[in-house]
Order: sequence, then structure tokens, then C-alpha cells
Amino acid sequence: MAHEWQPDFEKLVDEHQSMVFSLALRMAGDRGLAEEIAQDVFLELDRNMSKIKNPEHALFWLRRVAISRSSDALRRRRVRGLDLWVEMNEEHTSLPDERPSPLATRMEFLLTTLPEAQRAALVLRYQEDMPPEEIAATLDAPLATVKSHLQRGLKLLRAKAANHLREYIRGA
Amino acid sequence: MEPERIDEFEKELQQVLQRRPAPPSLKRKVMERRGFETTARRKHYWIAWQRVAAGLIMAAVLGGLMEWQLQRAEDRRRGEEARRQVMTALRVTERALNEMNLRLAARNRDPDQ
Repeated sequence: MAHEWQPDFEKLVDEHQSMVFSLALRMAGDRGLAEEIAQDVFLELDRNMSKIKNPEHALFWLRRVAISRSSDALRRRRVRGLDLWVEMNEEHTSLPDERPSPLATRMEFLLTTLPEAQRAALVLRYQEDMPPEEIAATLDAPLATVKSHLQRGLKLLRAKAANHLREYIRGA
Repeated sequence: MEPERIDEFEKELQQVLQRRPAPPSLKRKVMERRGFETTARRKHYWIAWQRVAAGLIMAAVLGGLMEWQLQRAEDRRRGEEARRQVMTALRVTERALNEMNLRLAARNRDPDQ
């Protein structure tokens, strides 16, 4: 008989908090909001623990819900008319030892100026190192659409980087 | 199939988009909120069960009351029926006695009959 996997909530939080937080941060562009989203995602996981079948399913589920809750949060912010971007290198938003480089900060800023679907595809592709097929499954979108988002997003980001980050980027 | 080509820009992007460490307070906050939610959920279930139990007790009391009322109405109906039968019997008896009285009175007036 196959050993049945027993999910341990605390262990899942330990393992995936960085991934969930980073996805939310790159999608929402605001550290405070990203932390709130990450908390909500884990609490939703807690409510759905009985449905999680194995560690791979937990990872897939967390990525999917993190992207989806980030989109919800952005929609709510748009409705309220708030500014989408809070500078990520502000001193009050990150700890001194984890402060990102100026290039990372500006690139992340440029990323948040992309359309949401392109941003989600790029973040999953380059942060999570996922192939387009997995991205399509995570975003519940057709593979061709995901490939198109990746291509267009990358092209747009490259163009923006060429204009704004000439001093940092070698390949732009 | 054409191998996937990753250029310099994509490598930079991969570097830039490395996972960031979560804030140290994230796990603590999640566990705290989880505790609150669990307590709230338990409280909610307890209240829901209390409501169900109260509803069942209320239904039982109302059912008992209705049964008692029906039983009472049936008893009253039976009582009324018995009283009616007794009254009929009394009326029949009264009529028979009256007839007997009339005959006795007639016999007393005319002893030859």
C-alpha cells in the first residue's frame, strides 16, 4: 500500500513562504501588500489542507492561488484608485541585509508596468523557472496564450529596459 | 525541436527575479491569524450547533404541545359524546316515566279499567 502523504501546515509555510511572498511582491509591487497576500494565501491553504494530495500539488496550488490573490488585490486597489507601485528599496519596506540591488529594484519596477497577464507569465517563467506548459496549467490558460504573453512581455520589458536601464543591462 | 535559447537579457532577468526571503514576521503572523481563525471557526460551529439544538428542543416542545392540544380536543369530543348519550338516555327514561305516570294516573281515576 502506498504511503499516504500527511500535509504539515507549518512545514509548508516554512518551505514555501519565500516563493509565495516573492510572487505576490512581483505581482503587486508593494511589500506590505505582498505580505498580506502571502498571509491570505497560507490561510486559504489551511482551509483547503484536506484537498492537498502531495508536495507537488501543494507547490502547484500555492503558486496558482498566490497569482490569483495578487490579481484580486490589484483589482481591489484599482477600484480604490490607489497607486500601484511602492518603491521596493525604500528603507522602511525592506531589511538592510536583504535590500535588492538598484538594477533589481528598477527591473522589478519595470516589470510592474507590464500588463498583468504578461507579468504573471514572466514571473512564473523567470522567478520559478517554470516551462510554458506548467505556466499554462498554473494560470489555467491555453499554452499558445501563455507563449504569446511570454514573448510580448519579454519584448516589452526589453524595450523598456533599453530606454530606462541602459547603464545596467548588457543584453538589452 | 529547436532548443530554447536564453539570451543575456533573460539571464539578467533570471538573476533579478530570484526569490526574495519572506519577512521574518510572516510565519508568526500566519500562525497567529490561523489560531484566531480556528478559534472563530470553532466558536461558529459551537453557535451553529447550539442553534440546531435549540431548534430541535423548540420543535419537540411545539410538537408535544400540539399533541397535547389534539389529545385534549379528542378527550373533550369523547366527553361531549358521552354526555350527549347520557342526556339521550335520561330523556328516554323521562319519557317512559312520564308515560308510566300518565297510565297510573288514569288507572287511579278509573279503577275498573
